Amino acid sequence: MLALSSGFLRSCELFPERPAVEVSGTTLTYKALWKRAASLAATLQRRTPLGGPPLTAVFAYRSPTAFAGVLAALFRGHGYVPLNRTFPPERTRTMLERSGCRALITDSQSVENLGQILEGIHEELLLILPETSDTEGLANRWPNHRIVGSNELDPPEAWSLQPVSPDSIAYLLFTSGTTGIPKGVMVAHRNVRHFVDVMVHRYEITEQDRFSQTFDMTFDLSAFDMFVAWERGACVCCPSQRTLINPGRFIQDSRLTVWFSVPSVAAFMERLGTLKPNCYPTLRWTLFCGEPLPFAVVENWGRAAPRSKLENLYGPTELTIACTFYRWNGEKSAGECEFGLVPIGEPYPGMKAMVVDEGLDEVLPCEEGELLMTGPQLSLGYWRDPETTAAAFVVPAAKNDVYYKTGDRVRKPVGNGPLVYLGRRDQQVKVQGHRVELSEVEAYLRQETKTDVAIALGWPITPNGAGGIVAFLDDTSLDAEGLRNKLKAKLPAYAVPRQIHLLPQLPLNPNGKVDRKALLNILERMP
Amino acid sequence: MRHVSAQEVRLLILSSLEAQLTAVGLTQTDIPDDFDLLTEGVIDSLGILQLITLIEEHFDIKVDFADLTPENLTIVGPFSRYIEERAPSALPYDP
Repeated sequence: MLALSSGFLRSCELFPERPAVEVSGTTLTYKALWKRAASLAATLQRRTPLGGPPLTAVFAYRSPTAFAGVLAALFRGHGYVPLNRTFPPERTRTMLERSGCRALITDSQSVENLGQILEGIHEELLLILPETSDTEGLANRWPNHRIVGSNELDPPEAWSLQPVSPDSIAYLLFTSGTTGIPKGVMVAHRNVRHFVDVMVHRYEITEQDRFSQTFDMTFDLSAFDMFVAWERGACVCCPSQRTLINPGRFIQDSRLTVWFSVPSVAAFMERLGTLKPNCYPTLRWTLFCGEPLPFAVVENWGRAAPRSKLENLYGPTELTIACTFYRWNGEKSAGECEFGLVPIGEPYPGMKAMVVDEGLDEVLPCEEGELLMTGPQLSLGYWRDPETTAAAFVVPAAKNDVYYKTGDRVRKPVGNGPLVYLGRRDQQVKVQGHRVELSEVEAYLRQETKTDVAIALGWPITPNGAGGIVAFLDDTSLDAEGLRNKLKAKLPAYAVPRQIHLLPQLPLNPNGKVDRKALLNILERMP
Repeated sequence: MRHVSAQEVRLLILSSLEAQLTAVGLTQTDIPDDFDLLTEGVIDSLGILQLITLIEEHFDIKVDFADLTPENLTIVGPFSRYIEERAPSALPYDP
């Protein structure tokens, strides 16, 4: 069993002069990135305050230091904890505090946000600022922390490889918890190694490949971009936040061969007119993950990148990035879509799936239930939270393995058919005692309007569920009343949206998914 | 054929964003040609699509953004001139 950084280190030997990362107008070869990372790792080794868990925070955003920082934490034998300056500072501070990290690496652009993050953190931290030479002012500002600027870094040669156990944490990634306090998911080296091994073989990655990085490091899908590319000497192309707004030209200029994003990015590009026939001929793989994939997105993308094979990936952070895949097949896939959504396919090799009812007993083929999964990508659970871990990581009756309860509802396939995603378990609401499946209402809305995205919410929220359903669509030209009448023919009265709000565009969360909470806030502010 | 001037587009953008500009302490006259609505924190990606829809509805044109330099999508001057340039050949707005 090898450490997660082993792929990068092997590529450093095989391809020292090939590009490992292109970011902020800079190209770093494997050799150059190794030097930066090894220097940071040596500094961490020598100067991190004693005590504290084997974790190092990386508070950097789409910069050379972000990539060097992630590698440095791993070189040091630590797991990395990605933090993001575009998140609310209070949330980031909670993550830093909860992680217990004693060292933090930051880039020059994030330094100005550091003050808000460090507020109220009294334990001594090692703050490494490899892009900042003048640290005197900062040292005066934070006398209880140890600050190391670019001039005081240890040389890369001073770093020595740290052995890590396959069970130790490779990254600690915070996801939103139901109580509002972020939960830290502990993902082990062996989890990510399995994922990376499956991916490099499946996609036949070589040193000629060029990967997109649409995901921020605080979203675990970014780990695909980095570690799958570096495993084989390929290049990660990281656009700026501004370029990502309209990434068509970036795909062309960077000559990307592997595209990986949430489907919403593709829907956005379609709106801007940047999915023209054959405009992305260099792409050989297109992967979508992170939210349900509408059939319409596949069709539009397929025209723009006709040489690219396309897969829909699915997976919660707790099962390490992605754990099922579905290969799009022009001849038969349309027939396998349900409610206009592409299936999530089959488990990765080595992973096992179960579809269960509320008593955790397996349902029959063709029936719906919650998806439970286990296998080499089953993460270690939640950081310092045994209760939440025990609730989500369970041993079903008649099984010996721990399975993760995904909270996602799927249809159990017949024979070798694909798993079909039907929605979140918690997207079921009770309206006047009736169980309403929000994803079902959404499917009808999409069907009737031919739009890609529709959101249904239970509203107003009542002690036993919701008073009714309201819907949001991103098209102001629709006839809301006419649409309501059409839905009356499809859905029981209690499930028909009482109001349909038409917005020019639906709000997205930092990960690019439709932000349901923001829509609830809109409802709350309405008279 | 429709004629839309860059100045008209600029005015429409800035008046529609008046509240957001005020929130960051700016007025319409403060806005230079190279003002970036995104990096200055005036709008996000959601705001950009709202803006595009507003412009298309207002001038009754369907704009194709494939030829716009991507970074200029959120910069007032170049964005307004792109609309001016594209308007004469644009199809009517068809949501």
